[in-house]
Amino acid sequence: MHSFGYRANALLTFAVTILALMCAMASFSDNFNHPSPSSSVQVLNVNWFQKQPNGNDEVSLTLNISADLQSLFTWNTKQVFVFLAAEYETPKNSLNQISLWDGIIASKEHAKFWTHTSNKYRFIDQGSNLRGKEFNLTLHWHVMPKTGKMFADKLVMSGYRLPKEYR
Amino acid sequence: MMPTLVLVEFIWVNIYGLGLLFQKILRGSTVFKVFIALTVSQTPQASSNLLAMDWQGQKLAEQLVQILLWAFAAVSFGTGYVLGSFQMMMLIYAGGVFLTTLVTVPNWPFFNRHPLKWLDPSVAEKHPKPQQQQAVSSKKKPAKK
Repeated sequence: MHSFGYRANALLTFAVTILALMCAMASFSDNFNHPSPSSSVQVLNVNWFQKQPNGNDEVSLTLNISADLQSLFTWNTKQVFVFLAAEYETPKNSLNQISLWDGIIASKEHAKFWTHTSNKYRFIDQGSNLRGKEFNLTLHWHVMPKTGKMFADKLVMSGYRLPKEYR
Repeated sequence: MMPTLVLVEFIWVNIYGLGLLFQKILRGSTVFKVFIALTVSQTPQASSNLLAMDWQGQKLAEQLVQILLWAFAAVSFGTGYVLGSFQMMMLIYAGGVFLTTLVTVPNWPFFNRHPLKWLDPSVAEKHPKPQQQQAVSSKKKPAKK
């Protein structure tokens, strides 16, 4: 025996279940997107390069970061979180990663950009290893979906070197 | 997104349960009795209930729910995917759910095209139920002391 309330409840529950299925399919459809992002970073200036009283090296850089991340966006993309990390090796650590800058790209139109800025976050070493250090600048991104799985990837740019002496 | 859906479903189920409780408490009230008469569709004990849904109607209602919701799911997903618009998918689907609710939940007359014909009370009195002789005799104990 059916009542009004029974039908309404059954219908709405079934509707929400189907909605969940559609969201899963939307997330799955992201796998068919093959992005081709590009990026380049120039170190325009080494502003200063000092050893802190606690013994750690610190450097301040002015960077020009330009990137084209438009191909990362799909119909199921809410926003893209992007950050630039300096990566290098020291005797103490096989990998040091220091985030220098990050940003949130909310739409495809804003995904092709350039920014001329000093590093947003401080570039401080664990120790005093930065003189003459060769490092990579790696652009990492997280594609945040409207529903479902988040994809993350990176692009490595190598060939950067810090000065041999403090400034 | 997903936690939001689970939360919505959880809230709905609880509202429905509270609604049933509310019904029980107010069963004596006249206003509520009228509301129930318009919406509750149990197969009637008397043929005079014009607002009921018959068994065939209930089956039709269930089939319509399935067909309409799957159809709108397919249309909305396809449209959203082709247009590259998640919002379009959600809007079309929400509209579809609303339309399906309008079509299947209230007791429309086309859900009552095969009403059960109950025997009229005055005719039933002329045909009394048969006595249950055999059942009584089999219960008697075979041997007496």
